[in-house]
Amino acid sequence: MGTTDVRAGLFERAVGLFGLIDGMRGVPSDESIEGLLRLLPPDPRRNLAAFFEPHVREAGVSFLRMVKDWMFHARDARAAGRKVILVPFNFPPELVLAFDNAVPLTSEVLTTIAAVGLEGGGERYWEHMMGLGLPDHICSANSVELGSVLSGIDLVPDAIISAAPGGCDANSKIHELVSRVLGIPQLLIEKPVDDSPEGHALYDVYFRQLIERLEDFLDERLDEDKLRRLLARANRCTELYWELYELHKPRPCPVPNIYNLFLAPVRFCLWGSDQAIETLETMVRTSRRRLEERAYPAPVERARALWAYTSYYFDVNELHGWMERQGYTFLADVLDLYHPRPIDLRSRDSMIDGMIAAAWSYPMNRQMGASSMSGAWVRDVAHGVRDLDADCVIFCGHDACKQSWSVVSILGDELERMGVPLLVLHGDSWLKTVTPIAVLQEEITAFMETRVVGRRRGAGRRRLRRRSTTEGSS
Amino acid sequence: MSESMGRDLAGGHLRTWRDGGGRVVGYACVLTPVEVLDAAGVLPFRVKALGCSKTDRADARLSRFNCGFCRSCLQLALEGAFDFLDGVIETNGCDQLRGMFENWQYVAPAPWFHYLKVPHVVTPESLDYLEHELRRLAAALERGFGAAVTDERLIEAIERRERIRASLGRLADLRERPAPAVTGSEALSEVIAGSALPPAVFQELLDEAIDRFERRPAPPAPARRLLLGGAAIDDVELVRDIESLGGAVVADTLCFGSRGVSLELSEGWRDAPVRALAERTLRGSTCPRMYDELPSRLELVLATAARARVDGVVLVHNKFCDVHGIDNALLRLELEKRGVPVLALEREYGAAADRGRLRTRTQAFLERIGGGR
Repeated sequence: MGTTDVRAGLFERAVGLFGLIDGMRGVPSDESIEGLLRLLPPDPRRNLAAFFEPHVREAGVSFLRMVKDWMFHARDARAAGRKVILVPFNFPPELVLAFDNAVPLTSEVLTTIAAVGLEGGGERYWEHMMGLGLPDHICSANSVELGSVLSGIDLVPDAIISAAPGGCDANSKIHELVSRVLGIPQLLIEKPVDDSPEGHALYDVYFRQLIERLEDFLDERLDEDKLRRLLARANRCTELYWELYELHKPRPCPVPNIYNLFLAPVRFCLWGSDQAIETLETMVRTSRRRLEERAYPAPVERARALWAYTSYYFDVNELHGWMERQGYTFLADVLDLYHPRPIDLRSRDSMIDGMIAAAWSYPMNRQMGASSMSGAWVRDVAHGVRDLDADCVIFCGHDACKQSWSVVSILGDELERMGVPLLVLHGDSWLKTVTPIAVLQEEITAFMETRVVGRRRGAGRRRLRRRSTTEGSS
Repeated sequence: MSESMGRDLAGGHLRTWRDGGGRVVGYACVLTPVEVLDAAGVLPFRVKALGCSKTDRADARLSRFNCGFCRSCLQLALEGAFDFLDGVIETNGCDQLRGMFENWQYVAPAPWFHYLKVPHVVTPESLDYLEHELRRLAAALERGFGAAVTDERLIEAIERRERIRASLGRLADLRERPAPAVTGSEALSEVIAGSALPPAVFQELLDEAIDRFERRPAPPAPARRLLLGGAAIDDVELVRDIESLGGAVVADTLCFGSRGVSLELSEGWRDAPVRALAERTLRGSTCPRMYDELPSRLELVLATAARARVDGVVLVHNKFCDVHGIDNALLRLELEKRGVPVLALEREYGAAADRGRLRTRTQAFLERIGGGR
């Protein structure tokens, strides 16, 4: 199937990469890091170097260990009698983690691992998808990983949870295609594009039905005690998340740019696990220390940027690291702004309610899956700008995301009313072949130096005046 | 009824309706049950991009990564081509259509606006939800335009539209004959024109056209018979191009073509007309924006292809349309597995520059399946 020569699967190669990290103990020395990086080919060497910079090394290692455990857990699942459930990034993995018989694998995170950690990124798997006749405007975020799955030589999941209907057509259609081609079940949960009580009620029903389908599929009842233990740890993650969020507020920002890259996988892979807690604790502890020391990687923090959507993942050293060296803080992107809330652990129902609320509030669900895409997105970005004291907003312009591209003009208009400049870039967040990082750096520099640095305008003091785009006069 | 009417956004009959004090409400998605609008006494007008030759204003709001159909519709809206509308209904047909409506409402809000939310899956709960949504739509129309949407009026409206569907079924039969009495471009023109006409006028013009098609001398049987499936195609030129190369488009599953025609009402629908419309909308939908219904879409294509005795299937999608782009790839895999020749075409909506490429590919396909000129 397909025309591209895919000789090793993404998952298999990534497991190999993380095998190198498996032996790491404590915070490695410069010599150990140098030795490790020498073992790697150029792309992962360049990218992973960003995780081991002295000021982020402790958290970087903790994060990589977490991802390693997540991957090894999936690798060993079948031998342990467990099923591998592929989940999209907009679905809480803790529901799958709550079953003994299942292991969640998040497709977008695997694609990101390919972009960051594999030589040549995920391009070969993307090309395999194109070889199947899929259009080149689909989203690489899950198509890279699913291209590897469809190549026939990689780990094939036992089922797919498709949580994108309502939030993303491309994601939903790809899941449907993969389910059909591989003959594996697709467990659908639609996010109603409706913020009214009726929309919430329908999602509530869908979510509970999904739990029943999972129980049937896994031949296991969702255990209340296990769920409570897991969600107690999830609540600890929530506390740590908000501590870290607050730490983004001071100037200069004590939270290193690359920590934003860690936050999303913590949520999307292992929320509620000891590993997630450890990673978050390390991020909080080191950021707090940096706050006390007023540490910042550049002589001065020159601009604070909120990324309105995703970031770029194919060259993190030359994006997150480079920005920091220029004095540009990467405050957050929308994937980090998942607004977790503590879950009431008193009963099975209250815990399920908490997971439903979390799923509803997931990135993409809460913006593109809202009654009004532009309305919800503008509200979230405007809130982030005000709350985190951002000087500007950057839209990465991931070309496959037609939803965000279709309303980014409204976001720009509304930010302009607030006096906040918006940079609209264009590129593919996961494929380096679309727009090279050097071009993106040039555009960011031109924007920062002409529109942002030294031109702070009291962002967020002006009110939004946007017209409603839904539920208008009817 | 002539083909030119299909290109006229606010044709003569529409003007007559407006001049007589009639109200017109625009919608874009085939999942909008027009019967509710009929029952409210307003004329449903399906938003199309006919005659749109540039997208400069829309490109400033959407982007070059959005599908050309949505950009073209927005362009016309921003140019004022739809200013005659008294209201607009947004339906969540696809992500990009939502973006189109949100920009339209942001820049040039219609006097009346309603958002109809149609679920993407078929379950008892989603049917209840859609029934509630249709009642909301009816209530909104009542508030906006004053006419009560009673069950009686709704039943009357449904019966009228059912008669039109029956006529469209006759039209499809003529087209599927061994020597088709109507071409694919003629059939598509009828359906497109009907989406801007008062139902009574549409019925009359359609029946006249069918009689005319039946009476005229039958053309020779075509060399190759095709089924055309895929995306929002409202430009008859594409079909005419395919036919000019020797491929008779004897059936279609297009969004602007037969997709709306194939929807059937459940038995006993008169007892609960709103519920019946909700059921038909969800259960009868063959739009790929429904995410668990591939088997029924595939079955429809296979059944239609067999009934119309086609030699091949042409699946078209507009560049940047994910819903049809991915679905067409999947359908192609499934159809080819069953020995059905498939041509998958990606096209830039409305772009004349794409015409030559599409003609070449179509010609090659026709040669591959053993015909064409």
